[in-house]
Amino acid sequence: MKKINVLKPVLVSNKQRAQENRQKFDRMNSLVINIIASPGAGKTSIIERIVQYFKRKVKILIIEGDIRGQVDSKRLAKLGVDVVQINTLTACHLDAFMTAQVLPKIKKKYDLILIENVGNLVCPAEFEIGEDYKLAILSTPEGDDKPMKYPLLFHLARIVIINKSDLLPFVDFSIDAAKKNIMRENSKAKIFEVSAKTGGGFDDFYLFMEKELNAKKKKGKTKG
Amino acid sequence: MHEFGITKALVDLCNTEAEKNNLAKIYKIHLKIGKFTGFSPDSIRFYFEYLKTGTKCQDAEITFNEVPIRIKCASCGKENKIEEPILVCPDCGKMTIEVISGREFYVASIEGD
Repeated sequence: MKKINVLKPVLVSNKQRAQENRQKFDRMNSLVINIIASPGAGKTSIIERIVQYFKRKVKILIIEGDIRGQVDSKRLAKLGVDVVQINTLTACHLDAFMTAQVLPKIKKKYDLILIENVGNLVCPAEFEIGEDYKLAILSTPEGDDKPMKYPLLFHLARIVIINKSDLLPFVDFSIDAAKKNIMRENSKAKIFEVSAKTGGGFDDFYLFMEKELNAKKKKGKTKG
Repeated sequence: MHEFGITKALVDLCNTEAEKNNLAKIYKIHLKIGKFTGFSPDSIRFYFEYLKTGTKCQDAEITFNEVPIRIKCASCGKENKIEEPILVCPDCGKMTIEVISGREFYVASIEGD
């Protein structure tokens, strides 16, 4: 019997493909955000808010990941932005290969590409798809302990949005405890509290996003 | 549930490596799996039984070598092994933590003929 040293990550091909996707996105100077949250946390509602605020300033594309159907795509297309659907059929997350399959459909240059991952706090965290970074959403009815139960996502996310702040009087959720639990996974996370329902709390987030979009544009220019 | 895709990637990777190294059959796969990953050995084993059929991995078994979570604190400089991924320095209590190990998920080696 022969022993062969392999020393290769199991997800090596996904990682390589994610890198290729990232290079394509970078050539368009697009800021690409992978949005991950549990079902019903408010991914689509937050995307709607972002689109409404930014659509006159920058070109936006939504890549919509769902197991089946086009419910969210149709909802988002009504806002007058381009939407591309990925149906994963059985898979509980998007991976770099599924994302690569829709890239030929992207004919224009976009400043901002928002990728709505399949609703799930576990699996999407492990699969890079070519994003600049991950945005995690935690909604108040889910409980402030979720970062401890799903640590990897909160560890990897650059931005964490606490959504449904309008429900705080009705649910057992402490903002301080949630922030502490997020920080214990990721002390560098940018945390924002919002209500996608009322629109409250988005100003700081928009300001942050504007800076991010400018930074990405500048990076593209210096690269020439 | 995502272990299906993971295990498929694992079988593909092992078959490719066996091909490259002229192995007709793989008997052992040594997998390094960090404690700060989202993968379950039980699920991987379950899918592996199905996915290995008809491949060079048909008669293979997987050994899982767990890698502990090790962290280093940027404030006090101390290194610690932790059981749960709560990234607070056990020595100084600060959250200026760098994860040194625990995120590994790779094939260390394969054995076969």
